[in-house]
Amino acid sequence: MPREHPNLYRFIIIVTLLISSGCSQLVSNAKQEFADDLSATMLEQNDPETVKQAVPAYLILISSMIKGDPDNVELLVSGSRLYGAYASVFVEDRLRQKRLSTIAFDYAHHAFCVYKPSACNIRELSYYEFEQSLKQFTKDDVQVLFALGSAWAGWLQANSADWNAVAELPRIKAIIQRVLELDPTMNNGDAYLYMAVMESFLPPAMGGKPELARKNFEQAIKISDGSNLMAKLLYAEKYARMIFDRELHDQLLTEVINANVEINESTLINSIAQHKARLLLAQSDDYF
Amino acid sequence: MNMKIGRILFPVIALILLQASIAEARVFKIATVSPDGTFWMQEMRAGAEEIKKQTQGRVVFKFYPGGVMGNDESVLRKIRIGQLHGGAVTAGSLISIDPDIAIYELPYLFESLDQVDYVRSRMDAELIETLEKKGFVGFGLAEGGFSYMMSDDPLQSVADVRQKKVWLPSNHPVGEAVFQSADISAVPLPLSDVLTGLQTGLIDTIITSPIGAIALQWHTKISYVVDEPLTYFSALLVIDNQAFNRLTEEDREIVRSVMSNAFKRIDEQNRKDNVAAREALMNQGIKFVRLSAESANEWRQIGEKAMAMLEKQNEYTDRIYQDLMKYLEESKQASKN
Repeated sequence: MPREHPNLYRFIIIVTLLISSGCSQLVSNAKQEFADDLSATMLEQNDPETVKQAVPAYLILISSMIKGDPDNVELLVSGSRLYGAYASVFVEDRLRQKRLSTIAFDYAHHAFCVYKPSACNIRELSYYEFEQSLKQFTKDDVQVLFALGSAWAGWLQANSADWNAVAELPRIKAIIQRVLELDPTMNNGDAYLYMAVMESFLPPAMGGKPELARKNFEQAIKISDGSNLMAKLLYAEKYARMIFDRELHDQLLTEVINANVEINESTLINSIAQHKARLLLAQSDDYF
Repeated sequence: MNMKIGRILFPVIALILLQASIAEARVFKIATVSPDGTFWMQEMRAGAEEIKKQTQGRVVFKFYPGGVMGNDESVLRKIRIGQLHGGAVTAGSLISIDPDIAIYELPYLFESLDQVDYVRSRMDAELIETLEKKGFVGFGLAEGGFSYMMSDDPLQSVADVRQKKVWLPSNHPVGEAVFQSADISAVPLPLSDVLTGLQTGLIDTIITSPIGAIALQWHTKISYVVDEPLTYFSALLVIDNQAFNRLTEEDREIVRSVMSNAFKRIDEQNRKDNVAAREALMNQGIKFVRLSAESANEWRQIGEKAMAMLEKQNEYTDRIYQDLMKYLEESKQASKN
């Protein structure tokens, strides 16, 4: 049985990388325009290394802003996203991943508590009570709910050798499931992508439902109009490999490699996806 | 004349074929239900890399993880027809090939991990040797751990369990013997259907290890664990003897050494993981309930009845069975002193 949980991989929260709404909160409203430009510039970068070098300064900046305004929900959500995305995408060292993803989770959880104080103890509830508690949330709440779910997933990814963390996976799934019920198209299909990756964790022989994984991946690709190359990459890596479908695997990766990555604010994520697609395709003979 | 040529040619051809088979890379196709990315798979893949390196590419492993070749029974069937060369399977799945390798799974056999360690340190090597005589090379047992009865209700007596919808793993003689001895009508399901079974209420009581409960995401449907080890299970990598013996002596040694070390690490890690997973279950609010003396006694009697049934069914080697009982008794005495 697994030490590293079967199903927790590096790219689980990549899709939230530098979400523009996140970066837009980096600076005060008076400098909104600057923030938007900054965010767009990062997301339009086709050289991930440049962004990797640049982000830490903004992590410090956003932490200092949160320190000055600790109950600002939007600011907390932005901070959580930035820390979470950076830890997941650019940090290799496990200890650093743990540290940064914990900050991301703490920001998201605090935002959640400020936003809905009555649900603040949600993590301490039994699983049944937890599921029931999620029913009180409505469409207006999805951003905070999704921030909690995605930060929690990133934290779990960094702590996948810890059984306490792995035991919380069904809770994260329940949150993302609730987000999908409330607003399936949010953030360009990101919630579908999270669900798709989590549904790919267990192979069918162990009770997993790859059909659900497939449907979620296809929804994520459909909502993004095929422009989200990370969705295709994860579809190949998590789903096609799990069910040992080489044809689908190679086809998806080839599509990613041949696609034009420079699609405005998808450029950065697509560049990362394309780089990873080349690595995965090169391993195809060995894997299958 | 022809016969003479034949006599000369045959050894020459045989020699050429032999050399060719040695020169070519020998690819072992290995399947398992363990998903890719798990500690098992990481260790086996790392072992395979090491073997490839040490044999200069003469021995290569190709893995089929995540049950893509089916469950353990399917994997063993595919090995028999030559479609696969080996598998990482539970010891219990080998019971029809070699009952002895599954002997630790006898119900209510061990009471503590100290007893397990005492017995295993004295018997594992012999079990692996016996398995080899039955056609499979093994590389050491890796602990799966103790499995426990887990349910949405706090269970104590046999009568309590008779009221529940209990899962019986498909093709699981130990489970069958226990439930039959206890007169419990269980619901037979393959592993793949358990999660859905729990979600739909088809079953509400399972038997698994703490690791299993969390990794398979069954723990959200249980509230109580009967804190009495029901059976001890293990798993191992096996390779078909015939395929393995095609390797040179030198390469066989390399494979044995590297994979045995990998499985020793898996064995040790699984011990730690089960301890951690048990704590994680408690942290999730799941309660571990000890049996009362009366209930414990009732279950022990069921265990004895089931054990007798299994002993009769499976024809364990007499000496191995006796050794097991002897070492078990010694371990119990040792723990008293």
